[in-house]
Amino acid sequence: MKPEHYKFPFHVILHPFDGFWDMKYENKGRTRIAALIVALLVLSVILQRQFAGFLVNYNDPRYLNSLDDLQYTVLPFLLFCIANWSVTTLMEGEGKFKEIVMATGYALLPMALVNLPLTLVSRFMTNDETAFYYLANSIAAIWFFYLLFVGIMTVHQYTPFKTVVTLLLTVIAMGIVVFVGTLIFSIAMQMYYFVYDVYRELIFRV
Amino acid sequence: MQMRTWLIGLTAAILAFTAMPWTASADAPYEAYTYNYYRDSVPIPAPYLPERAVTGEELGVGAFKGPNDLYATEDGRVYILDSGNGRIVRTDKEWNALGVIDGFDLDGKRETFGNPGGLFVTGAGDLYVADTDRGRIVVLAEDGELKRVIGKPESDILPADFQFNPTKVTVDRAGRVFVVARGVFEGLMQFDENGQFIGYAGTIGVTQTFSDRLWRSLATDAQRQRMQLFIPTEFSSVDIDHKGFVYATSVDLNSETPIRRLNPSGQDVLKRFGYYPVRGDVRFRIFGNNAGPSRLTDIKVLGGGMYTALDTYRGRLFTYNDEGELLHAFGGKGTQLGVFNTPVAVEQVDGKLAVLDRGKNNIVVFEPTLFGSTVRRATELRYEGNDAEAVGLWEEVLRLNSNYDLAYLGIGKSLLMEKKNKEAMAYFKLGMQRDYYSIAYKRYRREVMQEHFGTLMSGAALALFALAAFLLARRWRKKGGAKREAGAL
Repeated sequence: MKPEHYKFPFHVILHPFDGFWDMKYENKGRTRIAALIVALLVLSVILQRQFAGFLVNYNDPRYLNSLDDLQYTVLPFLLFCIANWSVTTLMEGEGKFKEIVMATGYALLPMALVNLPLTLVSRFMTNDETAFYYLANSIAAIWFFYLLFVGIMTVHQYTPFKTVVTLLLTVIAMGIVVFVGTLIFSIAMQMYYFVYDVYRELIFRV
Repeated sequence: MQMRTWLIGLTAAILAFTAMPWTASADAPYEAYTYNYYRDSVPIPAPYLPERAVTGEELGVGAFKGPNDLYATEDGRVYILDSGNGRIVRTDKEWNALGVIDGFDLDGKRETFGNPGGLFVTGAGDLYVADTDRGRIVVLAEDGELKRVIGKPESDILPADFQFNPTKVTVDRAGRVFVVARGVFEGLMQFDENGQFIGYAGTIGVTQTFSDRLWRSLATDAQRQRMQLFIPTEFSSVDIDHKGFVYATSVDLNSETPIRRLNPSGQDVLKRFGYYPVRGDVRFRIFGNNAGPSRLTDIKVLGGGMYTALDTYRGRLFTYNDEGELLHAFGGKGTQLGVFNTPVAVEQVDGKLAVLDRGKNNIVVFEPTLFGSTVRRATELRYEGNDAEAVGLWEEVLRLNSNYDLAYLGIGKSLLMEKKNKEAMAYFKLGMQRDYYSIAYKRYRREVMQEHFGTLMSGAALALFALAAFLLARRWRKKGGAKREAGAL
């Protein structure tokens, strides 16, 4: 890991077309950096939910759970990557799974970067100023979507229209993955309880 | 032997001593609660405890039979409308019977009441009885002498076959009569002091749920014709405060506003500044046993901006302050003293609450506890604008129950007025009051900024200076480096 690997994400978020191109063809991206960015995002989400100012923090402190925050950040990230890979493989996308993970991870950087200072600043806000808090949050989200769009487009070498279509299909695919996952989980539970019941029956009778 | 008796005596004394607080707190057959910011019902100490039940036998007038209404004047005279027996029982505030009115003379003929639904007593002592089945409102003097009868109203806006069945009645200081009548969906019927019908007040809008609308749009014309009409709900009861505002309840299960406070022109001006709608229970089951919203069938203005609404469905009493914040809720259904079968009316008698139970044919008297009376006094003081005086009482409330959001709000407001902004912030945060917190914080921030203005500005100047120095140094180093490079060539 050289310092330039750490600097590269900042280049990507400011020059997305150039940056994602270099990531794909000049081998400048690293999966580890993407993982680091996701970890940073998880941290920022946890801190924001816990420590954001009273005026903007509507979370019930009794139900705050860092493990939940971790799950609800990392799982959708992975789900998106898997679903996007599944869709784009069938739709002549040129991106590898690794590249999708990197593009998505790097695109998340603005969210993590904005969240952390914003959490601090929100503690010094009055009601009138909370509009800026929500504005900054929205800007970060829009920035993220823009980067994601450019990243996916570059990684798969798609036209903008095709990118939009694949992104919509990705959302549907995410739903299917969740559905199938729940199905498998419930069948697995039934199988487990079947074996367990047979076992119990045996030890009661033998 | 002596040792033994001494020991027994000591044990008995200890038992009696330790048992005392238990008997005091185990009295309530219900759990009192209020709703917090997160819509959880939070248990609170009982604000009222049942003191006694009053039956007709106890009053010496014979058992009540399906009584429908109760009214207590401010000077402590109580009127019980014993509908099944067609009579009105008068008592004093200690519940000693003073007399019975079982009819009146109209044009030389003895007339009786026909299942009357409600009654009201004016400050002057006039009795207004909504004589439901006979279709009239009977006005009697204090001794039962007939004053006048308000019969079926005549007006162009009423249909020719109009049926007049008044169920509840209230009168303002000017003598204007507000009547809730069965099958009248246009609002409260208003009569002037001569008994002339003047019009309606406080019309309730039609509420339609999403599924209603969906079904209607899917139905054919023939089906639609057979469907129920969407008509607004009727009012269920009325009361009037000393300013002449009419408080009315309606049993509309879809409505967020079953309690209304009508100004003289009939608009709803109830303040609803609490965390949730003024509608009794806000957390209830949707399906199954005991499901559905509260059915508020009676309301009593307590003074100090407070009012108590009675939920017949679950037998609970909800008391709100003038801002529409729930002070406390208590009560339930059952057979013990203090829980109800079919509560129909709530009144205030000498600082106590009296609830008329049609199912049990009795009146349950509730006495305020230390908690209840402290909350009440503090709310009254706050209503009158004496926030500073209320602080001590709110502190007492917090000592009894540290989960009472309104107490934090009360103390916070007073601290805010004393310009103790930082302390106020802490209280507003505990009371989950974001708007007030913001005000307190804004002031506090300005205070800190003013106090440390010098330090802040010197810090900023220093930072600027350091930045300039750093930039200059970098530029200078770059230049130097370039020179060296040139020199090397």
